[in-house]
Amino acid sequence: MSTWEGFLIALVKTVVIFGTVVQVAALMTLAERKFSAWMQYRIGPNRVGPFGLLQPLADGVKFIFKEELTPDGANKWLFRAAPILAALPAMMTIAVIPFTPDIVIGGRNFGSLAVADLDVGILYILALGGLAIYGVILGGWASNSKYSLMGSLRASAQMISYELTLILTILAVVVMSGSLNLREIVESQPTVGHWHIWTQPLAFVMFVVATFAETNRHPFDFSECEPELVGGFHTEYSAMKWAMFYIGEYSAMTMMACLTVVLFLGGWSVPFWESAPWFVCLAAFLAKTSVFLFLFLWVRWSLPRFRFDQLMRLGWKVFLPLALINLLVTGALVSLF
Amino acid sequence: MADALFYVMAVAAVLAALGVVLAKNPMQCVLSLLVSFFALAVIYLLAGFQFLAAAQILVYAGAIMVLFLFVIMLLNLGSPGTEDPTDVRMFSRANATLMVVVAAAILFVLALAIRRAGPMPVENSLPEGGLDPIPGLAGEMFGRYLLPFEAISVLLLATAVAVVVLAKRDRRANEESKA
Amino acid sequence: MVIVKRKELSLSEKLYIPEVLRGLSVTFRKMFEPKITRQYPEEPLVKTDVTRGQPRLVVNENDTIACVSCGLCEAACPAYAITIDGGETDRAIEREPVRFDIDMLRCILCGFCEEACPKDAIYMSDELELADYSREALIYDMDKLKRPKAALQKRIDYVNRINTRWQTPSST
Repeated sequence: MSTWEGFLIALVKTVVIFGTVVQVAALMTLAERKFSAWMQYRIGPNRVGPFGLLQPLADGVKFIFKEELTPDGANKWLFRAAPILAALPAMMTIAVIPFTPDIVIGGRNFGSLAVADLDVGILYILALGGLAIYGVILGGWASNSKYSLMGSLRASAQMISYELTLILTILAVVVMSGSLNLREIVESQPTVGHWHIWTQPLAFVMFVVATFAETNRHPFDFSECEPELVGGFHTEYSAMKWAMFYIGEYSAMTMMACLTVVLFLGGWSVPFWESAPWFVCLAAFLAKTSVFLFLFLWVRWSLPRFRFDQLMRLGWKVFLPLALINLLVTGALVSLF
Repeated sequence: MADALFYVMAVAAVLAALGVVLAKNPMQCVLSLLVSFFALAVIYLLAGFQFLAAAQILVYAGAIMVLFLFVIMLLNLGSPGTEDPTDVRMFSRANATLMVVVAAAILFVLALAIRRAGPMPVENSLPEGGLDPIPGLAGEMFGRYLLPFEAISVLLLATAVAVVVLAKRDRRANEESKA
Repeated sequence: MVIVKRKELSLSEKLYIPEVLRGLSVTFRKMFEPKITRQYPEEPLVKTDVTRGQPRLVVNENDTIACVSCGLCEAACPAYAITIDGGETDRAIEREPVRFDIDMLRCILCGFCEEACPKDAIYMSDELELADYSREALIYDMDKLKRPKAALQKRIDYVNRINTRWQTPSST
């Protein structure tokens, strides 16, 4: 395979993956409204396109043409940079998610559908994922507004607290599979019986809850806590800058759903069909991911919001010790057997 | 290409480091430091240290700088130009001399270490997994260097405890002086 | 004094997870229940005799309106939506409005004008749709407000029925 071919293949994979992620993020806004409507005996958006499928497009056009406001006394540069910083990390971390096993078409191996296959994949995700907090902090600070500042302080305190749980639960899986490489983690759980959701049920539950806190989603959406903080850290944002925060949020959700599938649900592994061709594997991966994406929406429209002290207590006094014990026990058992 | 990237990142790292020292606005200092960390991480990557690069961003950019930002946001430091008594004390002649001496000493030690280490072995193709594969790194850290590793942990713990004690005492003293 | 005791939570409630799952199952079931949304332009609102829409001036059989421009509706209007300029007429009622404007952007469809009118000249119609491209176009003048009596008959009958009901006890 020549360099050019390799470059071309990498380019196609990149375009496919990033295009899909942005599309999914856009469609998630529609899904959010649809599901919330159905749960409240309503129909939801159905005017733009068939079943309202073009609604995200209409929203996008609206965002572009809306007036951009910059509050008086805001730090102009940081105010502009924050939405970008909020949207980038989620899109960058998706690069190491392996969606399929090696794709073989006509006897040729095109490699896994992933932009990069890093040996430190998990670390890469944690490192860049941790940067999402900058968009929130800087956005809130640069707005020169008390609501924004309060929102960003809360959001960042929450993200720091739950990142610990997230890392410790991921580490338990890493200990089980013996690798930081996401492809190898998936390969360590080839059949349903090997899925880490069975071997690490506690870590799974804590991980899922931590992803909710990490993406600032309900029931932990203190950053935007409408009754007290108007819109939280993005109170002062409008038009496309505001939309960037939302693209970031929905991309982060997509990313977290993918990560959950990779870590706990065997990634692309198809139940009871070990030698499934790659496209079936891809379908299985996407199906599992959509279940978790639905969970994000489902929980949002079912549960009331926590109180901030409850959230912190849950994070520091319940999840952190539990995750530590879980890791300790896992490590002990793995080294013993 | 890698060479060009190295020089770009090196210049960025140095400029950002200068920005940390020279910028008047504390927020700008923090962000400069952040840029510097990133440039450094990229240089680590170019040199083939994947784990180090990831750890650099995870620990410094992801955790420590966030704390810095927190403190700055909470303290709401004055805008540049306002006279702050701590500034005056910090830049007194004695302190400035001390700072220069310490900086020179650190530079000297660094230069010595670099001379001792000699030039890095130049390899055209980096090994799979970089120069710091995680199993090897973990083996070294928890095998040969276990004692220093644990010593550093104890040191950090001691620092944390010390900070808590200092902060507590300060508050009590304040309350006493009020009463 | 009322003392409200906080409910002691059982173990399964303290663990959150079972309760969370219970909540989720409720919302999931609700997703498949019939929808109550009305697809508005295609499915118009159901209009009953009581429907209190925008106020309209009643045009009688002989093409006249009963308004004597007394200004009671103008005074009763809580939103100051009505503006009346009176003038003389050769008809038996002697006075009639030269100008009768209702600013539909201000009108809150409360029906006070209907109640205030001593001549049964203004009634609430069942018209509810209100849209235009300018503010000026939504200040309705007499021509726009006039409606034949037949179109308002349902409301007129309803109001009369209600009024007689209240009048009965006082007359005895």
